[in-house]
Amino acid sequence: MTSSRNSPATRRAARLALLTGLVAGSMLLAGCSAGSTTAGSTASAGGTAPVANGATQIKVTLSGSSCAMDYATAPAGPVTFTVTNTDAAGLSEVELMSDKRILGERENIVAGLQPATFTVTLGGGTYQLNCPGASAENTDFVVTGAAASTASDVQTLLTTGTTGYGAYVEDQSAALVTAVAALDAAIQSGDVAAAQKAYAVARPFYERIEPVAESFADLDPEVDARVADVDPGTEWTGFHPIEKDLFETGAISASTKTLSTKLVADIAQLQTLTKGLTYKPEELANGASGLLEEVQSSKITGEEEAYSHIDLVDFAANVEGSEQAFEYLKPALSTIDANLTASISTQFDSVNALLATYKDASALGGYDLYTEALKASDATKLTQAIQALQQPLSQISEKVATA
Amino acid sequence: MTQRSSGETSDDGSSEEAPRGFSRRAFFAGAVSSAAAGAAAGVVATGLSGAAASGTGPAAVAAADEVYPFYGAHQAGIATPPQDHLVFMVFDVTTTSASELQVMLAKWSAAIAQYTQGLAVGSVEPDRAQAVPGDTGEAAGMGANQLTVTVGFAPSMFDGRFGWAKYKPAALKDLPAFASDALTPAFTGGDICVQACASDPQVAYHAIRNLARMARTTATTRWTVQGFGRASRGTGQTTPRNLMGFKDGTRNISSDDDFAQQVWVGADSDQSWMTGGSYLVARKIHMLIETWDSDGIGDQHAVFGRTKAEGAPLSGTGEFDTPDFAVKAADGTPVIPVNAHVALAAHENNNGTKILRRGYNFTDGIDSVGRLDAGLMFISYQKDPAQFSQLQSKLGANDRLNEYIRHVGSGVFAVPPGLSAAGDYFGKALFA
Repeated sequence: MTSSRNSPATRRAARLALLTGLVAGSMLLAGCSAGSTTAGSTASAGGTAPVANGATQIKVTLSGSSCAMDYATAPAGPVTFTVTNTDAAGLSEVELMSDKRILGERENIVAGLQPATFTVTLGGGTYQLNCPGASAENTDFVVTGAAASTASDVQTLLTTGTTGYGAYVEDQSAALVTAVAALDAAIQSGDVAAAQKAYAVARPFYERIEPVAESFADLDPEVDARVADVDPGTEWTGFHPIEKDLFETGAISASTKTLSTKLVADIAQLQTLTKGLTYKPEELANGASGLLEEVQSSKITGEEEAYSHIDLVDFAANVEGSEQAFEYLKPALSTIDANLTASISTQFDSVNALLATYKDASALGGYDLYTEALKASDATKLTQAIQALQQPLSQISEKVATA
Repeated sequence: MTQRSSGETSDDGSSEEAPRGFSRRAFFAGAVSSAAAGAAAGVVATGLSGAAASGTGPAAVAAADEVYPFYGAHQAGIATPPQDHLVFMVFDVTTTSASELQVMLAKWSAAIAQYTQGLAVGSVEPDRAQAVPGDTGEAAGMGANQLTVTVGFAPSMFDGRFGWAKYKPAALKDLPAFASDALTPAFTGGDICVQACASDPQVAYHAIRNLARMARTTATTRWTVQGFGRASRGTGQTTPRNLMGFKDGTRNISSDDDFAQQVWVGADSDQSWMTGGSYLVARKIHMLIETWDSDGIGDQHAVFGRTKAEGAPLSGTGEFDTPDFAVKAADGTPVIPVNAHVALAAHENNNGTKILRRGYNFTDGIDSVGRLDAGLMFISYQKDPAQFSQLQSKLGANDRLNEYIRHVGSGVFAVPPGLSAAGDYFGKALFA
């Protein structure tokens, strides 16, 4: 390739815009805060909310299109919200928010079902009870007493999580460098069989951190483009032309070796770029969900590994990368929405159990080859399992968003 | 607000219907003046787009604004005069947790209450950038469009997974195999069916799509058919045509007596939760269109036992003439052949058995061997699926039409009664 590369700084800017998608959204948010109602407009007047089990008890009632609290204030400390839906067909969710961050919430509060409760520990200040879809979506909730002196526990947990994820990405990048070096060694020595094995070993390291790799908008196409994605007149480079040579042609040519040399350099570049990167919680969440989009759009269709057919290896790696990102968010997410967290864990378990049925230690990459026959018989099952996971997983970005 | 009858009968079968013989136009003009019809609380126009105030007449309501009530003794979408579009989807329940199923059905019930009023569940455009929209948005601002969403439970729901076995009605059994069945697993079976009908196809699809979305962790989509034109006559409607070009539903059920005797499950049911409900039979019927299109008109008449243009029985001259199966031609053979479709299906020849047909024409493009893939999404409602089986066992064995059709999909579902009010949900009695 002769095209000039952008500076690292430019790439970083591109990465941020791609990964966060928050620029325009934040502007919108500022305008929307005016929609908050003033405190007490839907709350009863006077009196003090009762205390039980060491927590102030607030009753929230969803009725018609209204969302009302019985008390709009509480002293600092634990507060339990008990939400009952009497007959509100359009409402099913309540969130307690602080400055656009969700501190606690419950979903699936449907008329006819049991009330739902959640407890949050609040310092002094003004919060908002948010009922999506209600005639007045936001009602102020005032907590009297000492303001929280330091960052909340959830914030601490999120920070720990994002730091941990950064280390995970660096680990995977380092392992990828090693694996691509082994692939290159096999290719330079002309050993097709060894190169095929090394290819299958290297791929998962890239697939696990694909959302991060993809955020480097000019590097990813050079590493992971499929032939159909390459603009006419542009050279096709990266893993997949090498895959074509190794698995379709079954021969290593001079051009294979050139491609391999370039791949080594590009992966080294990736490692450099990812070193020391920091992430926002919502980036982890979006990445986790994005990996499952990858699974649906290119693995289950068999497009990703068109020559080697190790799509299930990539599939497993995407799921693993997604689960890792989720795991780093889990401690904080459990505090915010324990039910959703449990639901996602259950769905990861079912996807992993399904994937385990394709494991074959003797197969390239450790999974059955994704043949046309396997695709015909199993693609629907795989799609359904991934969709059942992605639906709840796509909800977490909003829960952990720091903006 | 303009209120008109939806054609629903009341709980006890007494007349709450619009006067008979309304043309579709008259229906839409809202010309209801009788006290009986006025009390029916049938169709409620919300005037979402302001059409009622736009000078088109004091009671005129565009179909886009027309709202059928969701709560009532029976589910809407059965006695409701068929809307122009159908999306029918069958789900497999994947969860083994009764409480997850309960949440899903409660969410569906609440959501359907919203959708049928032309409202959404959740925001199309949430405030926070990281929030996923609650509603997918493609029906935003389109109005209710007469949407009805009707839910039914297959026999498999009562297999013990959810503690429902003791609530299984005796009438709810998988349909028997019929002669000339050509069923494919891709369009057969499943756990829960959802029939969405509306005057706009996108509004119907939006409802199904969003229900599928909110069920994604508990149920998967098994098969679906999109119907693009009604192929059965409802109360007060002109008779539409199926893709064979023949009128369909000329003698469809429309009287209160017939609804009470043939469609609604009565209080004598072995399962009280089904009182006011019905049973839905779905048959995806592929038509051999090209073959049919090369058949002579004389044979086409003989296949149906009716004329094509007028739809008259071969024994008469007008569409609504009662077929006379005794009339003989000069050669002594019946004018309506004994194996003509109407002869085999007529209640006169089936001990009075009738079913409410509510089918839709469909096309799925081109099939794997290069033929037009189209036909009839047959849907019928009856108080016992045995009514359908009685008719289909004769039709499957003898119908001259069988040369031109293949039954490729099938399902039978217990359709519970209507919901009483917010807080009621489909299957609520089964979680007791």
